[in-house]
Amino acid sequence: MTDKGLYLYCVAFPSATLSAKREDLGIKGIQGENVFVFQTPTLLVVVAPCEQSFESEDMQTVSQWVLVHQAVVDLAWEKFDTVVPFSFGTVIVAKEGKSAHENLLEWLEKEQENLKSKGDKLKGKAEYGIQISWDPARVAPRIVKTDLEIQNLEKEMASKSSGTAYLLKQKLAALVGKRMEQAADVYFNELYQKIKDHVEDIRVEKVRKDEPPRQMLMNLSCLLPKGEAGRLGDELDKIVKMEGFFVRFTGPWPPYSFVS
Amino acid sequence: MQPTRTGRAGIVDLLDRILDKGLILNADLIISLAGVPLIAVSLRAAIAGVETMQRYGMMKELLGAALPPPSGPT
Repeated sequence: MTDKGLYLYCVAFPSATLSAKREDLGIKGIQGENVFVFQTPTLLVVVAPCEQSFESEDMQTVSQWVLVHQAVVDLAWEKFDTVVPFSFGTVIVAKEGKSAHENLLEWLEKEQENLKSKGDKLKGKAEYGIQISWDPARVAPRIVKTDLEIQNLEKEMASKSSGTAYLLKQKLAALVGKRMEQAADVYFNELYQKIKDHVEDIRVEKVRKDEPPRQMLMNLSCLLPKGEAGRLGDELDKIVKMEGFFVRFTGPWPPYSFVS
Repeated sequence: MQPTRTGRAGIVDLLDRILDKGLILNADLIISLAGVPLIAVSLRAAIAGVETMQRYGMMKELLGAALPPPSGPT
């Protein structure tokens, strides 16, 4: 069908060549078409025919698309050593007499060196997410107790009249706030270095809003050999023992964050 | 500590990755590989981020459906 598009799931680099130039992956894609694997001299590409343009405002439909996308990439990952995943919703179309398939082959040929080097870098690797949060109210007491300037200010407040004590209270709050910000920086750097020791590559992501009273201090994407996250997990076990700290550890994910 | 892909954290991490990361056939590629057309699925505008998805109740759908864990040794 020349007016169909091709939904791109991932590029793959298997340890052995496939017996045929094209074979079914064994799963249906986001529009119900069979997903297939196409082999070029240097790599595999996992695709399915789809409408050239599609949209939905139905949340159930869109949720399904997201889950199917990931299920396809997961299956390809299971079958082939290394996958370089496409971003969700990447579709190649037919244009000016060339089919989507022809356009895809042209793009793959032009990109093959680039894709091969990405494949080499990501061979056998997986991505893991780490998010570390703290509850400031539970961490502050420790910081306050050991800070000389704060301790002196508290002593001063105790001996003053209510008016002066109130002003000093404002000053104290500002000082505690500043110390907490400094502590957040120190913790970030320390924990980042500790985690970095156990991974091959790392990306600092934007922190997300966490459920109050927690505040996210750091959000990291880590690249390491798939299934070898044991030492990293041990390090996180140490971190989560710290009073007022919380850790989320997710994965293994296909290496979405490390394709560039 | 074992990594997980289930639950709310798993969904958020999945969406962060598949919507914003991965190989992109972007405008730069169109310019440098003139003639290679692409279309971004228009729903990407509708699900612009996790906060949007939460607002539209998508998190409930995804949580209800549960992420398929990868099989094989982890």
